[in-house]
Amino acid sequence: MTLADLFRFAIGSLGGHRLRTALSLLGMAIGVAAVVALTALGEGARRYVIDQFASIGTNLLIVVPGKTETTGIPGMVPGTANDITLQDAEAVARQIPEVDKVAPLVVGTEDVSYGARRRQVPVVGSTQEFEEVRKLSVVRGEFLPAADMERGRSVAVLGQKVAQEIFLGEEPVGKIVRIGGWRMRVIGVLAPRGVQLGMNVDDMVLVPVGTAMKMFDRRSLFRIFVQVRATADLEQAKGKVIRLFKERHDGEEDITVLTQDAVVSTFSQILGALTLAVGAIAAISLTVAGIGIMNVMLVAVSERTREIGLLRAVGVGRRQVLAVFLTEAALLSAAGGLLGLAVGWTAIEILVQVFPALPASPPPWAVGAALALSFGVGLLFGWLPARRAARLDPVLALASR
Amino acid sequence: MRDLIRLAYNAVAGHKLRSGLSMLGIAIGIASVILLTSIGEGTRRYILEQFAQFGTNILSVVPGKAETVGIPGVLGGTTRKLTIDDALSLQRISGVNEVVANAYGSARVEANGRGRSVFVYGVTPNVPTAWNFRVRQGAFWPAGDPRRGAQVAVLGPSLKRELFGEENALGRFVRIGGSRFRVIGIMEAKGQFIGFDIDDAVYVPVASAMRLFNLTELNEVHVVYAHAGLADRVEREVHRVLKARHNDTEDFTVTTQKAMLDVFGNVMNMITLAVGAIAGISLLVGSIGILTMMWIAVGERTQEIGLIRAIGATRQQVQLLFLTEAAALATLGGAFGILGGVGIATLLRLAIPGLPIHTPLLFVALAVAMSTVTGLLSGVLPARRAAALDPIEALRTE
Amino acid sequence: MIRLEKICRTYQLGGQPVHALVDIDEHVEPGEHIAIMGPSGSGKSTLLYTLGCLDRPDSGSYWLDGREVARLSDEELTQIRRHLIGFVFQSFHLVPRLTAAENVELPMVFAGLSRSERRERVEAALASVALSDRIDHRPDQLSGGERQRVALARAVVMQPRLILADEPTGNLDTTSGRQILDLLDRMNDEGVTLVVVTHDPTVAQRADRVIVLVDGHIVRRLPGRDVVATANLFAPPQSREAPG
Repeated sequence: MTLADLFRFAIGSLGGHRLRTALSLLGMAIGVAAVVALTALGEGARRYVIDQFASIGTNLLIVVPGKTETTGIPGMVPGTANDITLQDAEAVARQIPEVDKVAPLVVGTEDVSYGARRRQVPVVGSTQEFEEVRKLSVVRGEFLPAADMERGRSVAVLGQKVAQEIFLGEEPVGKIVRIGGWRMRVIGVLAPRGVQLGMNVDDMVLVPVGTAMKMFDRRSLFRIFVQVRATADLEQAKGKVIRLFKERHDGEEDITVLTQDAVVSTFSQILGALTLAVGAIAAISLTVAGIGIMNVMLVAVSERTREIGLLRAVGVGRRQVLAVFLTEAALLSAAGGLLGLAVGWTAIEILVQVFPALPASPPPWAVGAALALSFGVGLLFGWLPARRAARLDPVLALASR
Repeated sequence: MRDLIRLAYNAVAGHKLRSGLSMLGIAIGIASVILLTSIGEGTRRYILEQFAQFGTNILSVVPGKAETVGIPGVLGGTTRKLTIDDALSLQRISGVNEVVANAYGSARVEANGRGRSVFVYGVTPNVPTAWNFRVRQGAFWPAGDPRRGAQVAVLGPSLKRELFGEENALGRFVRIGGSRFRVIGIMEAKGQFIGFDIDDAVYVPVASAMRLFNLTELNEVHVVYAHAGLADRVEREVHRVLKARHNDTEDFTVTTQKAMLDVFGNVMNMITLAVGAIAGISLLVGSIGILTMMWIAVGERTQEIGLIRAIGATRQQVQLLFLTEAAALATLGGAFGILGGVGIATLLRLAIPGLPIHTPLLFVALAVAMSTVTGLLSGVLPARRAAALDPIEALRTE
Repeated sequence: MIRLEKICRTYQLGGQPVHALVDIDEHVEPGEHIAIMGPSGSGKSTLLYTLGCLDRPDSGSYWLDGREVARLSDEELTQIRRHLIGFVFQSFHLVPRLTAAENVELPMVFAGLSRSERRERVEAALASVALSDRIDHRPDQLSGGERQRVALARAVVMQPRLILADEPTGNLDTTSGRQILDLLDRMNDEGVTLVVVTHDPTVAQRADRVIVLVDGHIVRRLPGRDVVATANLFAPPQSREAPG
């Protein structure tokens, strides 16, 4: 029996009981669609997070004060005696050749007002380097000026939303705003960016770091962003930064250096594991669908006992009978799998329309696995009925009702 | 009614393998739903219990307003700082039992030639009462003016063991961030709080901590009130008092433990529901399996259907018969699934003691209901087909 | 008991209309024993099913026990089949997975009788067909004759006043067949109206009257005892015997 004949025979049998075939297809399709759609969601979330981080550059080291062995999350809590200072930041920039740019960071919350309108916003103190290090850009005016870090001029760059809210239609550049008790001149407005690394770029105000330190009465920096020239040098640069701080801080290692890589990979791993788990749960439904197929095939065998007897009497071998029924089962589940893929893809398309921000697309491994699984399930669960069919005694089979 | 069940059982038992497989499908579906929702529920309870360690009639005040950043207190530093005086002023609100001022950071604690980087909690000495923490040895510093901070410390038991081993630590000195502190007490073991080891920390007077970390304001103020009924009133009073003290600006955030737990509880419920729904997909597939088998059964029993119509069964009775069969299949399958799910959950709980799993009776009842409804729904189409059969055609069938 | 007036029934078979019954006029008195004979395809079974309220005629009237069947709802017809009529089929139609007792009690289950009532009647019905020792056997453990006796017990368990039998001995050997016919006769003696469809003259001769159907028409009527002797039964009568 050629493969083509086999297929034709199988399709003929399946077509004979259309509703039954359709229902079995449906069961398998639902299972596969679930796996595909859910893993796509998970994968989408994972990619979203990675993209978020990628948008701020990958050659970034973040120096955070404090080191703790009891918790895994350094930098959440202020550290002790030795602050990280502007001088520390300058030293990193000067003394480590792998370092390209350094941007210190001081943050606080303050009221920003212009005339009668005011808003409470995060105020970020940094330097000109911040623009490149965080991949920001201005749409009006200019960014913070290059200047001696320790001197603070009374200038400010506004986030898109802040500018709109307190200036409404007016041109912000050149105007004076009050930040807390301070008068500052607006020299630029940032391009809209949304949320980046937990901070809403559109809803914040940038001032020179020296000014911010005076404003919030700080001696220590909140963070230092360090941009390394080449990704290959990242680890080496990290080591050098830690050693430098140790020297400058009386031999104490009281800082933590985060690489964006480590954070991203942690997230990626967690989300990856989650996607796998969700996929596995959905895959349980594939097993149930397989059981359904086995059931239907068993019924088919008992219904077609006479037919099987006839086949055997006419000279069809055991193996071929086995092949026939196995093919039917495999065809059934494979078709269901394909149908499920189509349904799953449609569902994802709809999802992408509703949530454009989420790059939901099924990871290739999931698609491949789903198809392979559905085919495999058919073969696996079709085995028992097929064997039963092949083992029937032809004489008894012909005589049965 | 009993006859109906008897007839249905008879039909189901007539094809053991077939019925068994159909039931298996439903069983797997129900088992996975129960298992997964149990894990979700267990996790929810676990975390609630962890929070309950601290007592539940607590609200917390942190500097900064939540709306602008989302995580209050991360950025800090505003017009008027949250000070110890603010905390003291809250004590006067009626219904308030304790007020704990918090300032914390991480620092290296050294003694005996050994050292560790740990959390340093600057607190007021009413912590044992306020937080349900007990002192195992020694005592906290005496209540006094919290604005002055003595250089004394209470060690957590893990930290004590790390630095001093089995030796007596009371009266000894430790260096915290370079300053000398005298050990005057050891806390009793509390264990973990969501992964944080509370025992591996040190408690010092709040003013000392602020000095140590160069803080100009508190990180947090905890307000413990007498009983749950006072929650709303105390919250309002705290807002009023602090606002008045802060130039009529609300530059702080008040969170009640209850509100936080509610939010958390809702999130967990949603997650559990989502996970349950995903598992429920297999239930859907199982019900399609029952539909298919019932449909086939109607085809096979056409003669039988014709017969009972001839001897006096109404269409409704035929329909009811098949509906009952489907429901019986599904419910039996569901029962096995419940047994399986609960069984696996119990095994897991025994094997991995830390794993939070809990199966409330409600879930079990819901699972039973779900499987019966599933069966009924799956049976509708086949039952209608059976009822619509023309008796004569049915009787003519060979 | 039964009155038929101009009953017509046509149905479609593979696109072609089949005139199963054409202008049937007949009546049957209570307690009569009627046989319906005819070649295959003559409409015998259709007539029987019409009498049994399983099939509705296309035109004409059927009065059963004084009520016109065409006016009755499906519910009411079901009631009639339950309480008034008992069926016996050629291929027995027993439910294979139920025991003899369970098969016999089926009509009572659907009629809503209680377990204790049913038990009594089942035992009585099976005793009346001499099968008390096979109460818990399944059909595949019974011989053909025994199966038909179970079917008969089922037919009478609700004490119907009309029994309709479609080739009751068709699948039985001579001895079993005779047993069944004797049982049917006994019921007839007790006052149950009996209508039997058969192609076998030896069966028909037990009836009071015989109706011969050919191609949907009644072509002759004759007393049962004359059946065996008559040649060319299925041809219309040459004699001037009036339909009676």
